[in-house]
Amino acid sequence: MRLRIRTPFLAAAGLAAGLLLLTVGCSLNIEGQQSALDPKGPVAKNQYDIFMLTLYVTTFIFITVGGALAWVLWKFRQRKGDDPNFIPPQSHGHPMLEMGLVIASAGLLVIIAIPTFGGIILKKVVPEELLDGAIEVNVVGFQWWWAFEYPEQGFYTANELVFPAGRAVKINLRADDVIHSFWLPKLAGKVDLIPGQENFIWIMADEPGYFWGQCAEFCGDSHAYMLFRAIALPEDEWEEWLETQQRDTVADDGSFEPLLAREDWGYPEDKILKGAEVFRQACAGCHSVNPRIQTNGPNLAHFGSRTSVAAGWYENEYDLLYRWIREPEKVKPGNFMYRGFLDRDGRTVIMPGLKDYDLSDEEVHAVTAYLYTLR
Amino acid sequence: MSSHAANTDDPHAALEPLKKTSTGIENKKLAMWAFLASDCMFFGTLISTHLIYRKVYPTVVEPTEFFDIELTGFSSFILLMSSLLMALSVSAAHKGNIAGMRRFLLGTIFFGLIFLSGQVYEFNHFVKDAGLTLSSSVFGSTFYVLTGTHGVHVALGVLWLSCWTACSLPKDWAWYTLRGGRFLWLPIRVIFAPMVGRYKHENALDVEVAGLYWHFVDIVWIVIFTAVYLVEYLPILGF
Amino acid sequence: MASTVETEHHAPAPAEPVRDGIWRRPLKNTGLVGFLTTVDHKKIGIGYALGALFFLLLGGVEALIIRAQLMYPEQELISARTYNQLFTMHGTTMIFLAVMPLSAAFFNYIMPLQIGARDVAFPRMNALGLWCFLLGGVLLNLSWFFPGGAPAIGWFAYAPLTDRQYSPDMGTDFWIMGLQILGIASLVGAFNFITTIVNMRAPGLSMMRLPLFTWMTLITSFLIILAFPAITIALVELMFDRHFGTYFFNVEGGGKPILWQHLFWIFGHPEVYILILPAMGIISEILPVFSRKPLFGYPLIVFSGAVIGFLGFAVWSHHMFTTGLGVVATTAFAFLTMLIAIPTGVKIFNWIGTMWGGRIRFTTPMLFSVGFIWMFMMGGFTGIMHSSPPVDAQQQDTYFVVAHFHYVLIGGSIFALFAGMYYWFPKVTGRLMDDFVGKIVFYLMFVGFNLAFFPMHILGMTGMPRRTHTYKSEMGWDQSNFWSTIGAFILGVGILIFVIQIVYAYYKGRKSPKDPWDSRTLEWDTDSPPKEYNFAYTPVIHARDQVWEDKYGVEAKRMEKIAPGKHGIHMPDQSWWPLITSIGLFIACLGMVFHKQPIPLTAEAVFGLEIVIFGLVATFVGMVAWALEGPGGFHLHPDPAEYADATPAPEDGHGHH
Repeated sequence: MRLRIRTPFLAAAGLAAGLLLLTVGCSLNIEGQQSALDPKGPVAKNQYDIFMLTLYVTTFIFITVGGALAWVLWKFRQRKGDDPNFIPPQSHGHPMLEMGLVIASAGLLVIIAIPTFGGIILKKVVPEELLDGAIEVNVVGFQWWWAFEYPEQGFYTANELVFPAGRAVKINLRADDVIHSFWLPKLAGKVDLIPGQENFIWIMADEPGYFWGQCAEFCGDSHAYMLFRAIALPEDEWEEWLETQQRDTVADDGSFEPLLAREDWGYPEDKILKGAEVFRQACAGCHSVNPRIQTNGPNLAHFGSRTSVAAGWYENEYDLLYRWIREPEKVKPGNFMYRGFLDRDGRTVIMPGLKDYDLSDEEVHAVTAYLYTLR
Repeated sequence: MSSHAANTDDPHAALEPLKKTSTGIENKKLAMWAFLASDCMFFGTLISTHLIYRKVYPTVVEPTEFFDIELTGFSSFILLMSSLLMALSVSAAHKGNIAGMRRFLLGTIFFGLIFLSGQVYEFNHFVKDAGLTLSSSVFGSTFYVLTGTHGVHVALGVLWLSCWTACSLPKDWAWYTLRGGRFLWLPIRVIFAPMVGRYKHENALDVEVAGLYWHFVDIVWIVIFTAVYLVEYLPILGF
Repeated sequence: MASTVETEHHAPAPAEPVRDGIWRRPLKNTGLVGFLTTVDHKKIGIGYALGALFFLLLGGVEALIIRAQLMYPEQELISARTYNQLFTMHGTTMIFLAVMPLSAAFFNYIMPLQIGARDVAFPRMNALGLWCFLLGGVLLNLSWFFPGGAPAIGWFAYAPLTDRQYSPDMGTDFWIMGLQILGIASLVGAFNFITTIVNMRAPGLSMMRLPLFTWMTLITSFLIILAFPAITIALVELMFDRHFGTYFFNVEGGGKPILWQHLFWIFGHPEVYILILPAMGIISEILPVFSRKPLFGYPLIVFSGAVIGFLGFAVWSHHMFTTGLGVVATTAFAFLTMLIAIPTGVKIFNWIGTMWGGRIRFTTPMLFSVGFIWMFMMGGFTGIMHSSPPVDAQQQDTYFVVAHFHYVLIGGSIFALFAGMYYWFPKVTGRLMDDFVGKIVFYLMFVGFNLAFFPMHILGMTGMPRRTHTYKSEMGWDQSNFWSTIGAFILGVGILIFVIQIVYAYYKGRKSPKDPWDSRTLEWDTDSPPKEYNFAYTPVIHARDQVWEDKYGVEAKRMEKIAPGKHGIHMPDQSWWPLITSIGLFIACLGMVFHKQPIPLTAEAVFGLEIVIFGLVATFVGMVAWALEGPGGFHLHPDPAEYADATPAPEDGHGHH
């Protein structure tokens, strides 16, 4: 007899499965920038292991229960030529069998529950042996950027978290406006930053590396643009970075003139000096260039040495930075750099934004160039 | 309203023409119980909001400084007593004693109004003398929204009982009610006048259902009185 | 629509209707007036279904725009804000305006038929529920037409993003007040269903003989009355924060934004079961019919449904594993969540047990039911995964979670509701839907759905957060997003064909006999469509699957029928007041939205609480008039041929209502 699929349902299931395999095969990008399937630190590895365990357990259930289901659908289907009036035995149930299945499924859950408990603790508490040499960072989430404070050294930076590889980083999480969520998929699962409470997470990178992170809690218009980068440095580079970051980058006479040697400015002097003036007038109200002071915009003290701009959305290149300052509303809709800060009624402007300054192209070029001298 | 038959295999019991339901409990009563279960959750949510914030910010305000526990205690007592009157009223209703039912209903309404006036006085005092407003602190927010919600429940109860009182008036009072002198505001008279004379003995069930609501609102007040007022005095009493 | 069908069969004209009340009661039960004043649970059920299907399409279009925007990286099809509004409205619409009311449509239409009742306990209250649902949906969607547009806060609207400071526009107020009206709709419906199921069962229909769908209606109704107060109060508190300067969720004054999450999810998690339990009930009706076997392990299925409902109240914090709960709380909520997998698994085992040894007919409703089991199982597995907080830490707020709840809500609820629509359509309209077209719809939906949502698991595990309107190509999400969008459009085509099919079948479908599927439960014993009074006789129940026993069972288990008495069948009168009361509520809620807000034309804040007070007075007047009017009622006399085989009423003089 020639083979015919009589139950089109199975055909559809087959088609769906085929399509799924195709899409999975095409699109599974395990080493993607934010892939939790490519863990690079102990917390993420633990979470990955438990995930894989749940995957094995559920795959087992899928094969057994799903197999039974598929077999039943196949075996007991009404075939062509069957007596349409056939009445199968009217069985109402089998309590012992049902209870047995209940107990079996409870047993499977225990397999997941045990490592789960370990994972809960690991995420909350830095293991004893890693406490030595651990560093501490305070993270504050804002709409739509991140402030990083290194309390032990007393300086601030923004949107790029730098830390030594192989050492635990204890991170205190706070927010001042709405809820955000700190997520570095390759190093650890997320923890929320909630106004009015302080949360904790710790991360560690086994090797030096460059990681991408992103806000994972919807936080308003430009939520999708709230990314950040995390850089795990070898020990010597870390020490060097720490030392650089604590240096001033502008003159403290109020002129905002860069302290960088003039021959290293890379742009005409008058352009940089004009940039400093524009910065003083239009930017300094919110952006501090003193590494020890945090105002209500990202600290820009060492902006020139960062790898990304606009909270991790752009790489730090001149054209992109120019675009970001020239038309901030197009890059990140609703951002405060453009529209200024509002009162609790959501309408009254209490701190003007760039829309109130109306900078010329030339001025924006000047301030863009200026920012690269802050190193 | 509905008359479904008892839950039994005897078909003849099914056709007993009275207000037989599957459980023997009248539909309206059952629905009211379901509503009260739901209302428990409403108040549960409000009370827990209040208590959580009290626990989180124990020192922001000291309510005992402006609470007038004697007054609130008195109005709580009055509200409790109104429950007694309500029960008497339901009992009179079931006995067919319409005049008695009306008297006790009026008493219940009167006590309910005393409670409400106490609350208005208290709110006024807190706002004016203690500076406690909705937006003065979290305590103000939770306090007013919780006790205010309860006040709205009492006010609705008063309104509901007033309707039944109006219904229980003899039919020839309709005209008087509508004219009603200057005692009542015209729109209120217009609302109540059509009710006059509509009470029938089968409405005893409706009065009973209103009574269930009234008792519930009283019991909730006991919980609120304890959770919002009395617990504040525990430290003073040395606990 | 349905009224035209019903009148064809109208029995002798209603005798002597009551003409009491402030206005004359509406007597015309056809046309617009007939629909606006109806108290017939069947018409109300159809009203729910039509409204829900409209909003399903609206929410679906929103979803397709979302998917189109995400098809390629860094697209600018729509702005970030529009995207945020779309996903907020999509979620809110699908949950509150599509799936819940579609379930309510079945509660209304099917449940009274399954228990042999003439109507629900409070027919006018039932109408109030319908109007509140429709007006709530209108209020929510009105926000699109006001300055600032729709809310952009996500369907769970986490504080403090919802504070006036971060969401100054009226969209959020529309959302708050829209949900309040919808809450009223759900609550009055639930009180009514509880009373109806507990009190109005046909003689002999004990609780353990109730059809499974009726059981799930009862459990769902209990979940509604116990869960909705939490969100109602949370919304009241949020409204006070936004309009009257309180500090419930405002940190400046000492509020705790986290409180919103607790209150929301104390409602929100039972809500998940409010969405899925009716679906399970529908499946438990359909599988036995098309396997020609009774439900396997009926008591355990009922019991596990109750356990799911009960546990549903004890697991809300698993939505909050990443908010910094303590170790003890996290562990407790994790283990309780895992426990829910057991009663859920029980249901799947029992459904397989039902089909085991049966004779399975793959009709359209059966295909959707089987599709439901597969997809719900998948959604359950991912649910088990993020019941473990360490795993959840990576999956929370990513596309993995989006995949999970769409598997449960589309693969689960929507598939089951579609199964229900195909299954009961002949009962409701008296016409059949074409099985071949139905199967095409199923295959399109099944394939499109999986193609749309399976890749989202991968997106989530490779780091794509939900609610982001765009993404960078460097992330490696391009392929999955592309295929997902293709799948979403295939799913959309499937649903579009369904809509065309249902309209076509309503007008042109083949006539259906009263029991086209060889079914088992009581609703199939009455006409298709049922007459106004549902049953011409009073059914006396002797078995669980009564209609099956009547056809194939032993003599002792056959149904008895009792003829109506000489006064005929008592029917409730129609009424304007439910509609008027709900309009009063609508005005009050709209007034709250406008409170001290700049409104179009004037662009200034011109209204205090005047509109609110006006609306509340209108509501009060509506309720008073409603009470004064009374239930009313008249008697219908069915054609004696309809109860030819019934025993005469033993005791005359009392119509049974």
